[in-house]
Amino acid sequence: MKEFDLIIVGAGAAGLRAAITAVRKNLRVAVISKVHPLRSQSVVASGGLNAVVENRNGKNGETAGDRDSIQTHMKDTLDCGYGFSDIPALETLVRRAPSVIKDLERWGCLFTMESNGSYALRRMGASSFPRTFFAADKTGLALMHTLFEQCIRLRQNKDVQLRFFEEWLVLKLLVLNNTVYGVIAMDIISGNIELLSAKSVIWASGGFGRIYGRSSNATINSGWGLAVPYYAGLPLKDMEFVQFHPTQLSGSHILISEAARSEGALLLNRKGERFLSSYDDTKEAMELSPRDRISRNIRREILAGRAVDASCVHLDLRHIGAKKIQERLPGIRNLCKTFAGLDPLRYPIPVTPGQHYMIGGIDTNERAETAVKGFYAAGECANTGVHGANRMGGNSLLEALVFGEIAAESAASYIRKKHIKTPGNTYYINVFTEEKKRIENLLKQKGNVSIADIREKLQRTMDEKAGIYRDGMGLVEASRTLWELNNMYKADLKLDGRETRVNYSLINAIELKGSLDIADAVIQAALKRNESIGVHFRNDFPNFGGRPRHSLLSLWKGKIRIRFVPVNTNEVPGIKGLWSRL
Amino acid sequence: MVTFMKDTVNISVFRFDPLSDKEARFDNYTIPARGLRTVMDALMYVRDHKDGTLAFRSSCRQGRCGSCAVHFNGRYGLACEMPLSEGKNQVRPLAQLPVIKDLVVDMERFWEKYEAVKPYLVRSSNDAVLSLRKRLEMDKLFDCILCGACFSACLMTGKNPDFHGPAAYAILNRFLLDDRDALREQRLALVKGENGVFRCHQMFNCNEACPKKIYPSENILEIIKIID
Ligand SMILES: Cc1cc2nc3c(=O)[nH]c(=O)nc-3n(C[C@H](O)[C@H](O)[C@H](O)COP(=O)(O)OP(=O)(O)OC[C@H]3O[C@@H](n4cnc5c(N)ncnc54)[C@H](O)[C@@H]3O)c2cc1C
Ligand code: SF4
Ligand code: FES
Repeated sequence: MKEFDLIIVGAGAAGLRAAITAVRKNLRVAVISKVHPLRSQSVVASGGLNAVVENRNGKNGETAGDRDSIQTHMKDTLDCGYGFSDIPALETLVRRAPSVIKDLERWGCLFTMESNGSYALRRMGASSFPRTFFAADKTGLALMHTLFEQCIRLRQNKDVQLRFFEEWLVLKLLVLNNTVYGVIAMDIISGNIELLSAKSVIWASGGFGRIYGRSSNATINSGWGLAVPYYAGLPLKDMEFVQFHPTQLSGSHILISEAARSEGALLLNRKGERFLSSYDDTKEAMELSPRDRISRNIRREILAGRAVDASCVHLDLRHIGAKKIQERLPGIRNLCKTFAGLDPLRYPIPVTPGQHYMIGGIDTNERAETAVKGFYAAGECANTGVHGANRMGGNSLLEALVFGEIAAESAASYIRKKHIKTPGNTYYINVFTEEKKRIENLLKQKGNVSIADIREKLQRTMDEKAGIYRDGMGLVEASRTLWELNNMYKADLKLDGRETRVNYSLINAIELKGSLDIADAVIQAALKRNESIGVHFRNDFPNFGGRPRHSLLSLWKGKIRIRFVPVNTNEVPGIKGLWSRL
Repeated sequence: MVTFMKDTVNISVFRFDPLSDKEARFDNYTIPARGLRTVMDALMYVRDHKDGTLAFRSSCRQGRCGSCAVHFNGRYGLACEMPLSEGKNQVRPLAQLPVIKDLVVDMERFWEKYEAVKPYLVRSSNDAVLSLRKRLEMDKLFDCILCGACFSACLMTGKNPDFHGPAAYAILNRFLLDDRDALREQRLALVKGENGVFRCHQMFNCNEACPKKIYPSENILEIIKIID
């Protein structure tokens, strides 16, 4: 058994940010990631991150006598999220945003600059001002390298105890008497399964978009990362809130970042019309409207037969010009050339909406605390409540960094304050033996149904039945399909290879179970919310019920329980709130 | 993009498990061409429908995360970016790094060399600022996704275990260009020894291998110029 003060699961933006703060607080830290940190989803993020910062040349985001402010950042986020944001968390997010940018700049992050040497800003959808910091269209890469570099710097200091477990898959979260004690994880390369104990655990496992087929997410975002704490009893919040991004490359569903529209790209239908003008909810902000509305209206345009090639519309960048595209959107141009075989300087890009971001996740508050003592969550796997019912572009990298740091602060004070009793060796031996047995049994599966068959059926079901438009009947059917797939998984799964060492068949089989159960959580929550709001549109309940509330879903003795709680509109204790002044 | 004339594609994949196999072999698979574009698509198909134990790394499937560098039909590149061909399709792991299994290699030496050049900014002062000119010069360099292709293509990394390799030098140059950096002298001292930058024979294999067009050898020349 390896012992640490703190275990961080996940090495994306949230996990690495947490690690930096944690080692600075002199904790003995382990960071576990199923891929090398720089292979996490965060490196792919492109558009940028939002913050209102005092710039070298004054305040950012000035337009015609008007000034951006953290209040406006808060108000935009709240409006974009249809008033479903938890106020304390949202206020924390916008207040901490400037320090996120300052830290990144201090550590050498290469943001794009204007010719006068100040940082360039772009205006993302639903923002009143340009306030998105970016590094061309490779913000995630620049930011992740910066964070990882700082981790290396810390690690090269002999007094620092920071250990990376790369290519280790976490299998189980140890929770007893509502207190966290560590994790069980498997080294994907050697196949060794080990118990790692810790006084505190921060969960930063990212999104889980791959329960859908049409998704912009990395293939590693399977859902297993969220399933592990879900199995340990942690409540999941707003799982029905799945964000669909309006512009993904037709076919491969590779994301064409909102940065494109922010730099002026237009959406056109078959007739070459800017069709967003014919819908009430997008006719004003047009291409910079909130994502949920644009995605829905693209779907409507497709259903009305005005699509290009049956299922997509055009994103036209041609008028932006070669110089600006080369400067600000070089990655997008490369993606189009490589994956669609066309040059956006000369042709419009065929795009279609697809799953992009999971608003739902582990229920946390503004201190990254969860229902379990010593257990914190940050980044896309968490739901702090900041995004409400629809996430604003550029807020999720920010969320990962802000709450990654806060999670480490909370964990540090928990570890310091608490005299944490360990549960005794029998407990560890028992859970460890049980988990090993589970993996051994899985390895014995000699059925007839392949992992890919189940995964493909699951993804198709989610695309069709739990998409941009959903309804009760479809969701019930989806739920039944999932139940059948789950039975197939248990009784008839085919697994290749009989050992744990570098066995991707085993890894995929383990993760598939998580995909199925997390998908089911999305479906059950979507079924329960009998109203339409933000990203959740029910054809059979097209109106909003009137009261902003979160859904909370958890496992209780193997059964799903769902209840609704009101959105938190309390002021942040101790400081004069922004909320009352909006 | 390729549109295949035939209904099927043939792919030949390097297979080797050093713990159980005496020698490496190539396994050949004939798979349906429909929906396949890239080498990654084909590998995924094989793992999903032919042999679940085929080992290869992948994550972003869009040339951004650096997981999937391989040697394909005679050149290095990212499996998720390289289009399949109508004829021969042969996939091998990166060279110079020990094979763990099939296409998965042990990248440890690559990371070690990367970390050895102190790839992080240490500010000379708190208010040191980056000039726009330097920022633009660095623009291309932060495209490096640390995929390791250049390291494998390089003839020196194999022969000389102390040579840091193309990517590490490109990254080093990124920090030399940064006018906020305080470690300039230390960095130069690290690489001017006899197994450092001067070992580079300017064969340009790294330039050719790099999927992100970083041109590591040009960075090496720039460093040599500074030292000389
Ligand atoms: C294509 C794309 C573009 C985007 N662009 C933007 C943008 O411009 N701006 C913005 O604000 N947001 C953007 N987003 C969203 C944003 O990138 C993500 O929300 C954010 O990066 C999530 O960071 P994270 O640290 O929470 O998770 P991730 O970066 O996904 O990291 C998750 C980590 O958890 C690890 N992990 C998961 N499960 C396990 C397990 N069981 N065992 C061990 N390790 C595990 C993984 O290895 C990984 O290291 C984009 C998303 C996509 C898909
Ligand atoms: S320089 Fe190019 S080939 Fe080398 S690691 Fe970086 S991206 Fe890969
Ligand atoms: S899978 Fe990310 S670069 Fe190929």
